[in-house]
Amino acid sequence: MITLADAVNTAIIGKGLMIGGGFIGPGIGIGIIGGNYMAAVGRNPEASKFLGQALVFIAIIELFGLLAFASIFIVK
Amino acid sequence: MFNGLKIFGSGPAVYITPEKIFTIHGISITNSIFYGWIAGIILLVVFILVARRITVRPKGGLIQFVEVGVTYMSNLVESSFEDPERGAKYVPYFVSLFFFLLFNNWLGLLPGVGEAFQSHGNPLFRSFTGDLNATLAVGIVTMGLVYVASIKEAGLKDYLKHFFVGNPLNPMYLFLGMIEMTTDFTRVISLSIRLFLNVTIGEIVIAVFAYLGSFFAPLTAAPFTLIELFVGALQAYIFVILSVMYLAIAVNHATANHDQDLTDESVPETMRLQSEKA
Repeated sequence: MITLADAVNTAIIGKGLMIGGGFIGPGIGIGIIGGNYMAAVGRNPEASKFLGQALVFIAIIELFGLLAFASIFIVK
Repeated sequence: MFNGLKIFGSGPAVYITPEKIFTIHGISITNSIFYGWIAGIILLVVFILVARRITVRPKGGLIQFVEVGVTYMSNLVESSFEDPERGAKYVPYFVSLFFFLLFNNWLGLLPGVGEAFQSHGNPLFRSFTGDLNATLAVGIVTMGLVYVASIKEAGLKDYLKHFFVGNPLNPMYLFLGMIEMTTDFTRVISLSIRLFLNVTIGEIVIAVFAYLGSFFAPLTAAPFTLIELFVGALQAYIFVILSVMYLAIAVNHATANHDQDLTDESVPETMRLQSEKA
C-alpha cells in the first residue's frame, strides 16, 4: 500500500513551510521597527541619529529568520 | 549533511564546512584559517602604511576611508560609556575587531574565494567569517574580554549586583537575576551564530542566483553581491556595537548614581501596600 507520504516528497513541503513560517515573523518585526523609526523621525527629525540602534534591533530579529533558513538544510 | 561539500546535489557548489589544506606539527590548518591569516596580514599592512602617512590634511581615498571609519568607531565606543575616559582604553581592541571582521566579510566576496583555486580537491580560500569555528573563536575572545573587563571595572560584587534590579534577598529579584545570568552565556552563541549565518547564507544566496542565471550569472548575482557588501559592513558594526553595549552596561551600572535605580526604596511602594493589606 502506498501512503501519501511515499507519493509526495514531504521534505520539500516541510522546507517550504519552514522558510515561509520562519521569514514571516522577522518580516513583520523588521517592518514594525522600520515603521516606528520613520514615524519617530517624522515627528522629531532629531531622532534620525538613532538609525544605528534601529539597525541593531533589526539584526537581532534577522537572526531568527536566518536560523530558519539554516534549518532547511537539516530537513531530509 | 554538513559533512558533504555540495549541499544542493546537482545544484551550485556551496561549502559549509572548512577543509584541511595542510598541517603544521600535527595541527591541521583549514582553508578558512588560511584566508583569515591573509586577511589579517592585509589588514596589518594597510593600517601600518596608513598610520605612517597620516597627516592633518590627508590626501588619497584609502587614508580617508580608514580615518573616517576609525573616527566613527572610536566615537561610538567612547560614547557608549557614561564616562568616556573609561571607554578610551577599549577603543583599540574594538576598532581593530571591527576592521578585522569588515575585511574578512568583504574579502570573502571576492571572486576566487571558493572552488576556483583548489588544493587536494578542496577549495584553497574560504571566507573566514563564513566558518562557525572562526566566529565562535572571535565571539569567545571578545566576550572573555568583556567579562574580565567588566569585573575589573566594576569589582566582583558590583558586577554580580548588576544582574539584580533590587535586593537579591528578595526571592523574586533573586529568581529574575538568575535568569538574567543565564542570558549572559547565550551572548557568545548569539553573536557568533549571527555573524556566521549572515555571511554563509549570503554566500548561498549568491551561489544560488549565479547558478540560476547560468549564462547571465554575473547579472543575476551582482545585486545580491552588492547587498552582501552592505550586510558585511552592517554585521561587523553590529558585532562590535553589541559587545561594546554588553561591556558598557556592566561598567555604567557600577559608576552610575543609584538614584534612578529600581532599588527597594523606590519600587516596593506597592509591595508594602500589599503586605499591609495581608
